[in-house]
Amino acid sequence: MSQLALEHYLAVGAIMFCIGLIGFMCRRNLIIMFLCTELMFQGVAINLIAFGKFHNNLSGQAFTIFVLVIAAVEASMALGLVVLLFRQKNTLDADAWKELKG
Amino acid sequence: MQLAHNALSIPLAAVNAAAVQPVVILLLCVAAGIGTVLLLPGKREASFRNIGGVILAAMGLIFVAMLVRFAAGTTAGGMNIYFWVFAGIALLGAIRVVTHPRPVYSALYFILTVFASAGLFILLWAEFMAAALVLIYAGAILITYVFVIMLAAQSTSTRAADVVAEYDTISREPFAACAVGFAVMGLLLFVIFDKAAALTPRPVDPTATATLAPISGNTQELGVYMFNSQLVNVQLSGLLLTLGMVGAILIARRRVVTHDAAMIPETLSTPATPTDDSPYSIPVVGTDNPRAKAYPET
Repeated sequence: MSQLALEHYLAVGAIMFCIGLIGFMCRRNLIIMFLCTELMFQGVAINLIAFGKFHNNLSGQAFTIFVLVIAAVEASMALGLVVLLFRQKNTLDADAWKELKG
Repeated sequence: MQLAHNALSIPLAAVNAAAVQPVVILLLCVAAGIGTVLLLPGKREASFRNIGGVILAAMGLIFVAMLVRFAAGTTAGGMNIYFWVFAGIALLGAIRVVTHPRPVYSALYFILTVFASAGLFILLWAEFMAAALVLIYAGAILITYVFVIMLAAQSTSTRAADVVAEYDTISREPFAACAVGFAVMGLLLFVIFDKAAALTPRPVDPTATATLAPISGNTQELGVYMFNSQLVNVQLSGLLLTLGMVGAILIARRRVVTHDAAMIPETLSTPATPTDDSPYSIPVVGTDNPRAKAYPET
């Protein structure tokens, strides 16, 4: 049985989320940027599971399953987009699309 | 058994509020941010990046040491060595995902992070989620990522194989990104260590069906819970997966007309793909009538 407090798991999840955030902001490779969003999903999943264990019910695990579903859908859409963008500019550089201004 | 159920929450009762001082969190985050700026791919020398890695590792070790001391001081006593090992592997892998200049190695380090997270899930009695994480993330999603990375690397293979692309070696605004990221991290850690002690777990209801069974595992309970209480969500996620599949096919299937004629290699001047569903629409070299056989009948 785990003998650690809830906040240890929450801290791991928070640190992993922030590492993913940093990577998403400063990496320029499109694939690595989406890999970093998966890292952020990981952190959230750890938080959900830890809270589910803390409250002794299964909602955390059920939510993590839905997070996994969202991650799978996001990965498929993102990789389709990356392939499309790569075929247009022949590079994975996100800065190649900097003429897109919101 | 009820006591064992609540073992995760026992330390919270004995927590003194000053688990980690906010000033210490601030200092650690600032130092770790400087280390990360140095460690991120950039034009710097390799020695600078090593210094950044050492700074980052030192900050992590200081943080872990404080947490271990804090955990040892609570009534639960002792430390769970598996937690520290898995958390350390997961976070080191995450750092390498962000800082490694080669995309394939980033993906492989992410697989390492996924495995360590699965270990953390097993420590939290979520063994089905651990298995699903390894299967879905490491088995399906990451393999797809690696395939796309290798496809992209293959089609730009005119340069030497061991030359890393410029957009992989030079980060975009590493200082601002690390400032924002570590500010968020410091805030989150402060709130977690400040407020988590005030949380109390919901008391275990002996009549509830959806409780964690510490010995036999809870995969069966999870399935019953999913299909009793979350039925609409299960249906919706199935719909979402179908939509995602259709959308990905539609997006990636679109034919891109490259206007830059120099980019089209000479071997592709004869289109090899059919323009519609009829197999006769494939152009045959040497004849105008695609139905005519180009070889003598024997």
